[in-house]
Amino acid sequence: MSVTEQHLSTHKGKQTSSKRNKRTKWLSALRRDRSLYLLALPGILFFLVFKYIPMWGIVIAFQDYSPFRGIQGSEWVGLQHFTTLFANPDFALLFRNTLAISLLNLILFFPFPILISLGLNELRNVTYKRLIQTVIYMPHFLSWVIIAGLTLLLFAKGTGLVNELFVLWGWPRVDILTNPDSFWIMVTLQAMWKEAGWGTIVFLAAMASVDTQLYEAARMDGAGRLRQIWHITLPAIRSVIIVLLILRLGDIMEVGFEQIFLMYNGAVSEVAEVFDTYVYRTGIEQGDFSYSTAVGLFKSVVGLVLVVVANRLVKRMGQEGVY
Amino acid sequence: MLNVGKRNTRNLIWIISVVLVMSVVLSACGSQEAGQTSGSGRSNADDPLEVSIMTITPSAVPAADDNVIKRAIEEATNSKMSIQWVSNNIYSDKLNLTLASGDIPDLIMINDPFGSTFTKMVKQGAFWDISPYIQEYPNLSKGIPNIAWETTKSADGNNYGIPRPRPVTGDSFFIIRKDWLDKLNLRVPETTDELFEVMKAFVEQDPDGNGQPDTTALAAYVSPDDLGWGGNLGPVLGAIENSFIGSNSSWKWDETEGKLIYRELLPEVRESLQYLTKAYSSGMMPEDLLSLKLTQARELFKRNQAGIIVDKTGTMRKIYADDLKKVDPSFKYTDFYPLTNLNGYNPKGSGYNGILAIPASVSEEKMKRILQLVDTWMNPEVFEIQQFGIEGTHYELVDGKKVASTEKLTADNASDFNHIVNVIDLPWDTTGETEEETQANELFKKVEAERNKTSVADLSAGLQSETGQKILPELNKKIQDLKAKIILGREPIEAWDTFVESLRNDPNVQAMSDEMTEAYKKRNGQ
Repeated sequence: MSVTEQHLSTHKGKQTSSKRNKRTKWLSALRRDRSLYLLALPGILFFLVFKYIPMWGIVIAFQDYSPFRGIQGSEWVGLQHFTTLFANPDFALLFRNTLAISLLNLILFFPFPILISLGLNELRNVTYKRLIQTVIYMPHFLSWVIIAGLTLLLFAKGTGLVNELFVLWGWPRVDILTNPDSFWIMVTLQAMWKEAGWGTIVFLAAMASVDTQLYEAARMDGAGRLRQIWHITLPAIRSVIIVLLILRLGDIMEVGFEQIFLMYNGAVSEVAEVFDTYVYRTGIEQGDFSYSTAVGLFKSVVGLVLVVVANRLVKRMGQEGVY
Repeated sequence: MLNVGKRNTRNLIWIISVVLVMSVVLSACGSQEAGQTSGSGRSNADDPLEVSIMTITPSAVPAADDNVIKRAIEEATNSKMSIQWVSNNIYSDKLNLTLASGDIPDLIMINDPFGSTFTKMVKQGAFWDISPYIQEYPNLSKGIPNIAWETTKSADGNNYGIPRPRPVTGDSFFIIRKDWLDKLNLRVPETTDELFEVMKAFVEQDPDGNGQPDTTALAAYVSPDDLGWGGNLGPVLGAIENSFIGSNSSWKWDETEGKLIYRELLPEVRESLQYLTKAYSSGMMPEDLLSLKLTQARELFKRNQAGIIVDKTGTMRKIYADDLKKVDPSFKYTDFYPLTNLNGYNPKGSGYNGILAIPASVSEEKMKRILQLVDTWMNPEVFEIQQFGIEGTHYELVDGKKVASTEKLTADNASDFNHIVNVIDLPWDTTGETEEETQANELFKKVEAERNKTSVADLSAGLQSETGQKILPELNKKIQDLKAKIILGREPIEAWDTFVESLRNDPNVQAMSDEMTEAYKKRNGQ
């Protein structure tokens, strides 16, 4: 905090010097670090060309876009697509499903890698630790198509392995794939199985950087393992948790299109239809490009607002935010 | 002096390198467009026609650019084709994305000429109306059956693409395991009630004789990809619903009221739902039918676990029989037995499978040359290239007859080119590679002759309603969801009655019915 203040004050001091002086300073700084700037150039160009320029495509959300007429020739309709979306009786349903899956993710999935990391961090046997880490990373590298296939093989009501076992044991078959009651929790558990191991990387790295002297001191004071976790490890990784949480909030309206789309079927549609699948159906399948862009834009705006608000809150609480 | 010069050259080097980086990045984005325009550039009438094409490929590995058969067709038609083969599974998505990009190939296969994106774009004038030109090309006007031209007409009565003709016979319908029927002493079913008895026997009486109750009857699945198909239930369950209605159309002509009735309002749909619910709860179809995909449903049949499928008659050997023989060596090709009718009904095909459209961005001169290309391709001597291949490589002349090697033709993707141009009025050659196959082909020919007597065409094919375009995508989804839930026993049949009542009172559905009736009357000259 104090370092940035110092930096700011020196900056303010420079503002008093004349404009020309400032410009030459800027130029000379540019010249001095030209190799660095040149190194950054491809990256900047990448973002300009592939991220910022395509963003202008958003304007079709306010048009009745026709590919034949192009963006210039298409008719402007203002906020019509947004009003259609909000007036759609399915809007509440989409909102509910998206939020429900997202919140389940936030409550169950988000803390899960932290818990695993805490556990792994306590393991003293390095070989064993590495082995567990490698095994729980693996699912991250499988595509959703494969995971959906595995889920079907395991849990299908008629032929799934789990149900066959249940029958062997004399239990009734369970219906997981086509049951609206279990859909949300199923996709959350699926995501946890796939990504939790991968999510531990950041936390483990943060824990590795904790000063071991702190632990020694705590032990001297008679702190047990749990006390050490609570008073040393967790506070040490607090900023990492907060940054990741804020970033996660930005994605609250995205629940992973591929996963939902692959697990989707007629019997669970009222709990499985989320904004992402809706955009796909209206945009790609029905060719309603403007409307689906409007839906996508709405989604992004909600995400942006959440990130900004969360970041403010965190900063007000005296923590470091994302920016 | 020297110092200044040195600094200047240094600056120059930096500027040059920046410009270079910029140009590389920008040219990477621009190259695609450059390639597009060169195709439609100035051309001489004698130069080979440069044409870009997008269509379906059924093969895992599509024909390469230097494919021998492609080269031979190019030579015969004086063209240079750059073909974009797209997998069957993703074609609809890829097509919509291509249309949205505005970067449309010169000849593009539109799998559903009444899909919303295509019809919208046609209205805006994005594609050539080729109807005024067809007469100038004898193969197009006479070689493609009239029914295909008729059913692909747009709402304004014009043709915005060349239909890819397919026979109206041999449309997807029930195919049954004859050896299972014989084993259980059952007759070939002719009504839905008889079919129910057969399905029951296939589940309960151990038709595969392994002593396990591990067989199901109908290799069925319901997929969201099949919205709008067979009452939104897709090909298999839709075929049952169609047999109840006696038509595969979404509309039925009501003589007393003189108007078209929307399919879902018919009492037969309710009956078929009750039938399917009972069949499902008795284990006559896979329990997971909602999570299955087409390939998995086919797998059931191939693994000797299901006795009935719904597919085209000619698919026997290519898709099912050879795999099934590995599991059940006693299976004969003639045991793959297509039903001729159910309740006196079988579906008549619409005579086409997609159309080839030409975007309006192509010049008139080039558009005519593309029509010429397709016309020339339909000449027997050119079309035979994809049927028999090249002499010496794919076929040998034996007693003046061409004897082709199926294996080599498949290896060179010969039949893939049917997805661009296909000629259908060839006499059905029943001779197969083996005696068994010949017998099967003769059986199929007989079945088709029988089917001809009872086949029913979709009376609403090609008719459109503007309201329908708007409401159907969502409505179809709702209908599929509800039907699926009823069949699974999640909702009682009364839920359907409530839904039908709400449809009846829906002003949009009424508007759609009126528009369809009007279009129907207009076409039939009333």
